[in-house]
Amino acid sequence: MKAWLNFSPSIVSKTVISDLIKNFDVTFNILRADITPKGGKMLIEISGSEAEKGIKYMEKEGIQLNPIKKVVKKDEEKCMDCGECISLCPVKAIKMEEDWSVELDNQKCIGCGFCTTSCPTKAIKIAD
Amino acid sequence: MKTIEEINQKIKDGNAVVVTAREMTRIVQENGAGKAAEEVDVVTTGTFGAMCSSGAFFNFGHSDPPIKMSRTYINGVEAYSGLAAVDAYLGATQPHRNPDIGLDYGGAHLLEDLIRGKEVELVAEAYGTDCYPRTDVHTFLSLENLNQATMINPRNCYQNYAAATNSTEETIYTYMGTLLPQMGNVSYSSAGELSPLLNDPYFQTIGLGTRIFLCGSQGYIIGEGTQHATEGERRNGVPVGSAGTLMLKGDMKKMDADYIRGATMPKYGPTLYVGAGIPIPVLNEEIARRTGVSDADIACKIYDYGTPRRDRPAVMETNYEELRTGKIEINGNEVQTSPLSSFKKALEIAEELKKWMDNGEFFLTSPVENLPSSGFTVQPLEIKRPSIMVRDLKSKTAITARAEEAISEVARKMVDNNINHLPVVDHAGRLMGIVTSWDIAQAVAKDSQKLTEIMTKKVIVAMEDEPVEVIARRIDKHEISGVPIVDRNNLVKGMITAEDISRLICSQNNEEGD
Ligand code: SF4
Ligand code: SF4
Repeated sequence: MKAWLNFSPSIVSKTVISDLIKNFDVTFNILRADITPKGGKMLIEISGSEAEKGIKYMEKEGIQLNPIKKVVKKDEEKCMDCGECISLCPVKAIKMEEDWSVELDNQKCIGCGFCTTSCPTKAIKIAD
Repeated sequence: MKTIEEINQKIKDGNAVVVTAREMTRIVQENGAGKAAEEVDVVTTGTFGAMCSSGAFFNFGHSDPPIKMSRTYINGVEAYSGLAAVDAYLGATQPHRNPDIGLDYGGAHLLEDLIRGKEVELVAEAYGTDCYPRTDVHTFLSLENLNQATMINPRNCYQNYAAATNSTEETIYTYMGTLLPQMGNVSYSSAGELSPLLNDPYFQTIGLGTRIFLCGSQGYIIGEGTQHATEGERRNGVPVGSAGTLMLKGDMKKMDADYIRGATMPKYGPTLYVGAGIPIPVLNEEIARRTGVSDADIACKIYDYGTPRRDRPAVMETNYEELRTGKIEINGNEVQTSPLSSFKKALEIAEELKKWMDNGEFFLTSPVENLPSSGFTVQPLEIKRPSIMVRDLKSKTAITARAEEAISEVARKMVDNNINHLPVVDHAGRLMGIVTSWDIAQAVAKDSQKLTEIMTKKVIVAMEDEPVEVIARRIDKHEISGVPIVDRNNLVKGMITAEDISRLICSQNNEEGD
């Protein structure tokens, strides 16, 4: 599951993430992080048998968790299937289909934003 | 073998055999060119790519009292109005007049908006004459209010083009899109086997007056485009690099917004994606064979756009079959490739043009004159006053610091020589890093002792054989005030600062004034 974690300032200095990994059987992948002394947010991917319990723990510790289904959103009207975004994706989440249309794979996407800034028609947005 | 009149009769009777260039490739491969020439009457091609050299002539009609427009802005984008009183040419790459909008909305976006039927704002200024007393205009209009909105694309449908990569250490933003550092990606921009001029590489059927598909309407080729070239290297009859070009004309009022797109190449500028399709009558076996060209037969070179010079070094040669797989091997590394032009749209265009002919709505024309297929080369622009190279600058002798020198020593060197930058070198004089007076100030404040701790290790440099303009852009882009000059062996030869460059420009301007 992918989710945005929102940290309040009071929690920034706590070792929640390492505690989480230590205490629960979860795999945890930080895709994006933007943390300042005033709090911050982090895009994570969490999986494993105890993922649900892990999430409860984080919530108890004061981390707000907003699951997301889509990291990138492509505006089909604006996209002209040029393919310019393909080679910029570091995780190969964008590919050309059989019919030459361009598809984004949200499972693979890590929300780096390279495709967003490079698209000539601004067809791709990163979901917040 | 066949004539255009005969084919037109077949189109009229509804029994012309029209196939797309992609279908033709398979037909020729399976049945041979001879059989294909007998069976097929017309091959339709298509392309949908970024064609910067695009634009449109507008005639606004006369206001009362009338005005002789001398500056014209449509939705904030300036159109050139040094024509007659109420005519203007709007270029697709013109950025918005407001620098905050700048590249995000330019001529290309405006052209798309007009074709979409949107209302746009017209602002014009004039100096006023006896016959045209009015000095300004502010109004709104849409495509239907314009007397003419004639798209004229001076250079479109490039016959082949280069592919681009970037060997430098930083991302660069070009008309070939975003290019990642260390040859992290490759972009290319041709519809390959579907592309018009690659299917008729010697312009045997294409010329002045050829009726074509242009942005969903019927348009015309009105001659060779600018930078048309015929003498380049060929492989299988097809030019390996950019060669022929077309000048196109179409009526914007008849266009379909599905086949045009205003776009912005990030940090480069606006550009127009233009959909064009050209029918190629299969008059004989040779034409059949040429239209049977496949992506594998079309070679192109990958150039290093990291070198901002006219002659960029070629990294390797490839072909469109390979580029289209989405990856390519460069120096043993797998690199992802991106098309800039839409193959999907290009296919749609070839299909649409085919449909028009199947429905008896589109007829072929005989060119009034074929495009020139020899004798055209692209001349470079020679600058009478050639670029000043870094090595020609009277740069100060390099004052450098050795890595083991004490901070106080380095500070003294800066003060004694009245400089703000000091390259740090190893025993052989090779560049290791750079310190500025600000770094020294910080070192003192933080009580750092070692030069290697405070120096910037990733140094932006100038090579001796680079033009000074390139360095000026580099200094500006990185918001720094100076760069060390190094040779190919990374030996420090001097320092060039923003001040040196301004002084150079001032002295040049003074000379011109003499
Ligand atoms: S770069 Fe933009 S327009 Fe081109 S395929 Fe990607 S999302 Fe679509
Ligand atoms: S945001 Fe980054 S990871 Fe996601 S699709 Fe775009 S380039 Fe790929």
